[in-house]
Parts: sequence; C-alpha cells; structure tokens
Amino acid sequence: MGILLLLALWQALTSVVARSSLPTPLSVAIRIRQDFIHADQLSFYGLNTGLLDSMAYTATNVAAAVLMGAVVGAPLGLVTARFRLLRALVDPVLMTAGTIPIIVLAPFFLIWFGVDRISAMLLVAIFVTVILYVFAQRAADNIDPVYEESAYTLGASRARVVRDVLLPGTVPQILGGIRIALAGAWGLEAIAELMGAQYGIGKIVQLLAGATDVEGIFAALLVLGVVAVACDGLAAWVVARLAVWNQPARTGAE
Amino acid sequence: MSDVKIEASALSRSYRRADGAEVKALSAVDLRIEAGQFVCLVGPSGCGKTTLLQIIAGLVPPSGGNIVVNGQRVTAPGPSRGMVFQKDSVFPWMRVHANVEYGLSCRGVAKAERQKVAAQYLERVGLSHVAGAWPRELSGGMLKRVAVATVFANGADVLLLDEPFGALDYVTKRQLHDVLLTLWAEGEAGRRRTVVFVTHDVDEAMILADRIVVLRAGRVVDDLAVAADRPRTTDALLLPGMVRIKHILLTHLGLEAAR
Ligand SMILES: Nc1ncnc2c1ncn2[C@@H]1O[C@H](COP(=O)(O)OP(=O)(O)OP(=O)(O)O)[C@@H](O)[C@H]1O
Ligand SMILES: [Mg+2]
Repeated sequence: MGILLLLALWQALTSVVARSSLPTPLSVAIRIRQDFIHADQLSFYGLNTGLLDSMAYTATNVAAAVLMGAVVGAPLGLVTARFRLLRALVDPVLMTAGTIPIIVLAPFFLIWFGVDRISAMLLVAIFVTVILYVFAQRAADNIDPVYEESAYTLGASRARVVRDVLLPGTVPQILGGIRIALAGAWGLEAIAELMGAQYGIGKIVQLLAGATDVEGIFAALLVLGVVAVACDGLAAWVVARLAVWNQPARTGAE
Repeated sequence: MSDVKIEASALSRSYRRADGAEVKALSAVDLRIEAGQFVCLVGPSGCGKTTLLQIIAGLVPPSGGNIVVNGQRVTAPGPSRGMVFQKDSVFPWMRVHANVEYGLSCRGVAKAERQKVAAQYLERVGLSHVAGAWPRELSGGMLKRVAVATVFANGADVLLLDEPFGALDYVTKRQLHDVLLTLWAEGEAGRRRTVVFVTHDVDEAMILADRIVVLRAGRVVDDLAVAADRPRTTDALLLPGMVRIKHILLTHLGLEAAR
C-alpha cells in the first residue's frame, strides 16, 4: 500500500521535474533489469559486475558488521551494567567512538586497513557495537532485580544468572536494538563504500555519480532500499520468534 | 530439639533515599528462631518486615549487627534459604513448569526427577492444567502460586515467605495454608523446616504460627507464643487464649485501644 503511494508520488513528480535529475519509475525498473547481472556502464571503469553481485557484496558486509557489533556490543553492555568499575572504563571509550562521524573515521580506516571490505565492515561494526552496547546496558538496568534475587535464592550460580535471567530478560530490547542498528547499517555501509571501496552498491553510486548517470544511481539505490526493507521484515519476524514469551497476552486468540 | 536455626543479633539496616534522607528500616533487632519453628512476622506497612527477610536471605547486607543461619554467618543468598517474594518473581521467559523446575536444575537434579517433583508441586497448588503455559497467560493469584510451588519444590530447609498469599482469594489461601503446613512438617530426616512468614493478616498468623513476632518502626515490640493444637479449626481460633492474642495483635496494629 505504502509502496503504491510512493510510486504514484514519484510518477507524478517526474512530470514536473526534468528527466535528467529524476528518472521515471519505469525507466529505473528497466535499468535495474539491464544492470542486474552485468552493468555495461561500469565496464568503462574496469568494474566487471552487476547490481546483484554488488548488492551481495554490500549485504555480506552489513551482515558481518551487524554480527560483529552484536557479538561485542551486547555482552559488553550486559556485563558493564552489573560491574560499575568496568562500566566507568568502557562507557567513555564507546561513547566517544559513537559520536565520531563516519566521514571523519573513514579515511583513517582506509589508511590502516586499505580499500578492502574489512575497512567498511569495521567502520560499520563500530557503530553497531555502540548502539547495541547502549541498548543492552539499558535493558539490563531496567530489568527488575527481583528476578536475579529469586534465581540466587534458588541456587543459581553467577554464570547461570547471566544465562537464564540477564540474557533472556534483555533479549527483546537487544533484538529491537539489532533492528535499529541494521536499519542504520545499510546507509553507513553505502557511505563507507562511497569513500573508498572496490565493490558494492556504494561504489557503483560513486562511479555513476562521476558520470551523472542519475538513472543508474536510482537503480542501485532502489535495489539497496528494497533489500533493506526486506531484511527489516525478516528481522522483525525473527524477533517475534525468539521472544515468544514477550508477546502481548491479549493477542492470543487461537 | 531446641537448636537455634536463625540468630539475628543487634541487626540494623538503614537506607539513604535518593533525596538524601536516611531511613532506618531496622534498628537493633535481636531474634532467635529455633529449628522447626513457624514464625509469623506482623507489623504495619513499612516497619521493616521485607528488609528483615532480605537480610536473612542474604540479599541485603545489614548495616550493623550479625545474622547467623545454621551456625554460619550469612553473606550471600543460597538455596538453603528459599524465599517467596512480595513482588512477582516468576520468570516471564520460562514456561510455568520450567519455572518450578528452575531451582532443581540449578542444583543438578536429573531432568526426569525434576519434572516429577515440579508436576507434584504444581498439582499441590492446583495448577497442573497450566504447566505448559507462559506466565503472561496466568492471573495474578496463579503467578503467586507458581512462585510458591517453585520455592517449595526446591525443598529448602528454611523458608522465608513475604506476604505470599496476600493477593489470593480466601479459598485458595486456605488451601495453600494446608500445603504450606504439610511442607513445613515434612523437612529432611523427618524434622520440621523452619518458616518465617510475613503477613498483614492477623487471622492468618494465628492459624499458622507457633510464634508471632510484632515489628514496629524497625524494632521488635512483641513476641507471642501461640500454643493451640493443630490443625487449628475455626473453633480453635475462638478459644480464650487465642482471642487474647488477637486482641494484643490488634492493639499493636492500632485497631484497638490498649486495655
Ligand atoms: N531500597 C530501599 N531504598 C530506600 N529505602 C528503602 C528501601 N527498601 C526499603 N526502604 C525503606 O525501609 C523501610 C522498611 O521497608 P520494608 O520493605 O522492609 O517494609 P515492610 O514492612 O516490608 O512493608 P510492607 O508491609 O508495606 O511490605 C521503609 O520505610 C522503606 O521506605
Ligand atoms: Mg514488605
């Protein structure tokens, strides 16, 4: 429904704005089909690839970055929520890292790690880490202490309290954080690629921007957008699966 | 038979509230509870009952004084002292039966055995039919019963109960009194468990307790023995000795003038 509205709006706009700055939906769709496997325009720049491969490259980087960020950020957030000293140590570091704009950080990463995918991946992973760190920490702060107290009086060890109380009790918020991080990660990855990469959707945009190929840029961005929305839908579905217990009670009408 | 199970000496606890004010939740509490005794703690809201239980459980360190259980100083919570909390403590992320099995699983009891025990206690609190449900699907009173089953199934020798039946209807409450009294009687090696039971309900205290300790403003202000035979029927509560205790309790709670 929302997509139809967007398309209609887009179509309407093309009748007022010059074709060279805003292509029609149909021409972009055709362009996506043309460029899907192999984009001729990119061959000029020595890039033998199409939208599919580039999208796969970008998606892999995003997935890896979100995974890295989740594995580092979430546990760190949980642990620091329970150990004041550690928190005082880690908080300032991550908060500072989180406020540096990616434009400032990117050149350093390109110098340190080269134009390989690792640069963009790490760049995105840092931001995902910070987001999930904050989400996990807040979730752990907010969980009612009665659950941990109850676990201890039942004989749980510290490790079991983390596994059976802290983790499941914070999973809904952490998963929510992963969705938000994922949504932001696409844009960050594209920017990171724009600033220096050999492949990816961002790289295509950068090359075609040099040739002011608006249609091509639109085609690339549309593919990126569709995949991002699809991934968010997938993430939402997984979130609902993983935290069944957290569903609102009144919806169970089966 | 008169070995001391719980011994609090000169126990005090103060809290500093966020606004800077100092609250004395407990001051100079001396209390000896013998093994097998069923003690009810009564007193007005805010007098320190929960705080005292938390200190015995090892969840809150005292600001001063000593707490000894089983001859050992309490420094941390552990499975030898089971606690039913005033607040809801059932894990929302585990199904009802998994909640009841939790303590047993922490102590390494085999799956088949703990399933059997959990089923047995769920049956006793009348919740067999919701064993597979999520806690969010239960009513408030049912959640309380899950918490009770969880702690009872874990079989601790000392049971600390903080207004466990306060939210329950009269019939369920009376049924759970029987469950609790049975559990109390069947401790390890045929000995009674030790129970500290917080309640606002004077009648509940008189049905259950061997001894009623009255707290007010963080101090023990009275300590009454309840000698009536068990099971205590409705008639037993009307015996002159019981009526006298009830008058004393109501006076402490400010409901009757001293006479
Ligand atoms: N964590 C805390 N921080 C500050 N003050 C507290 C805290 N816990 C308890 N208190 C204060 O200590 C006093 C005793 O509280 P406690 O919970 O032990 O009362 P209670 O007898 O259990 O009351 P109720 O019958 O209402 O449950 C109260 O004045 C309360 O405000
Ligand atoms: Mg209380």
